[in-house]
Amino acid sequence: MMDPVRAVVIFYALFWVIRLNGCVRRGRQPRLRGADWFFNVHVQPGFYDGPGKQLLRWYWMRMMIPFAVDIPIAIWIFASGRLALLGWLIIGLCALIHANHLISVDLAERQARPFAAPDAEPPVASITLSLTPRRLRDYSNGKIELVLIITTACAIVFAHDHRAGWKAAAFLIYMHLGFVYAKSAIVAWRTDHTEVHEARRRYYLASCDWYRALLTAQLVAWSLHPGPSTKVDVAVWLAITVVSTVIVEIKRKQLARLSARAKPVTLPDLLRQSEIARWPVCYQPSAPLLMLKGARGYSINLANTFALVGIAYVTGFVVLGRVL
Amino acid sequence: MLLTIDTSDPRPIYQQVADGIKELIARGKLAEGTPLPPVRQVAADLGVNLNTIAAAYRALQDDGLIVIKHGSGAVVASRTPTERSPDELLRQLRAALTELVLAGFSARKILTIVARELK
Repeated sequence: MMDPVRAVVIFYALFWVIRLNGCVRRGRQPRLRGADWFFNVHVQPGFYDGPGKQLLRWYWMRMMIPFAVDIPIAIWIFASGRLALLGWLIIGLCALIHANHLISVDLAERQARPFAAPDAEPPVASITLSLTPRRLRDYSNGKIELVLIITTACAIVFAHDHRAGWKAAAFLIYMHLGFVYAKSAIVAWRTDHTEVHEARRRYYLASCDWYRALLTAQLVAWSLHPGPSTKVDVAVWLAITVVSTVIVEIKRKQLARLSARAKPVTLPDLLRQSEIARWPVCYQPSAPLLMLKGARGYSINLANTFALVGIAYVTGFVVLGRVL
Repeated sequence: MLLTIDTSDPRPIYQQVADGIKELIARGKLAEGTPLPPVRQVAADLGVNLNTIAAAYRALQDDGLIVIKHGSGAVVASRTPTERSPDELLRQLRAALTELVLAGFSARKILTIVARELK
């Protein structure tokens, strides 16, 4: 048997290794399109010897924010001996890393825009959109969904008398629901009708499905061995984590190559988002988007159903954390 | 099925959406019973106000080209003979032809354009 706390520490160590890889990848992202580009902004020659040097440094500094949050908390967790909290720290950091990256890239692009090349493309005059309805069921495989539902139900029925372990099951199911929510948001995500954006949508959706399958497998494993994990269990999960990370990285690289080939397009701001979204949160019932791109960064539209469900989900997560 | 909206077009966006869908129906690319995307999806993809697309869908519904069912979205309606009188339709054709003539197009050129558009 392996102490569950020890398993969490091993996963936390692995999380650091994976994060460092992601950090290197994100560090290279500004020049992914070439030396004349800063993310999706076509910049003037010599940009990186002048103002670009400082903007790049600031971007790299912002990449360190999750580490600045993580390290003191991790030190406190290790010092206090409450190592089980590392699992919650990993979940929180995953959200923080993605949010920080999204905001940081948007800020970096806005800072670089005054130094854009004179021939930089203005917002496009025409937008092509698909008239094919985009629903969650169009991006879901019925057979896979059925297998996931049946497997989850069987695992719960099989282990319903393992009352001591219900917390683990509740946590796994709640995480699973979170990925279903993420899928719905990705399906509704605004994109122009291009091959790259559709490929990106499919990649994110496949990632969500993969994590859902892993959570279901974990639920089945829990129903079969409700007690503490054995060393073999932990080794299997570590192997799955490493393999899935490698697969995700390969797919991500393919997508990055495809994105680098496609010309970046600036869509016209028909909704006047820069005027209506001035704060990190806004209430715009007539705007169909979850996130509005304001003049000073992203703004969450509280009138959007996804925003309300997201807030309810995060609140539920906090409650679950207290209960567990 | 793709629809293109041009921001430099003098027509308002809702009109462009309605005209675009109308054209696709007339060309047979949107057959009877074909579901249209929800207002929210079209508005999000274009980045416009929900009311803009709702107005376009309403205009299409008023013309009898789509049927909006609450809860299940909009579908292309069956092609029934139009309720508008031939005189009313001819008036629109005449206005369009006048615009072309005033723009300097010859009768031959106009006939070529009309034949091409009918294809």
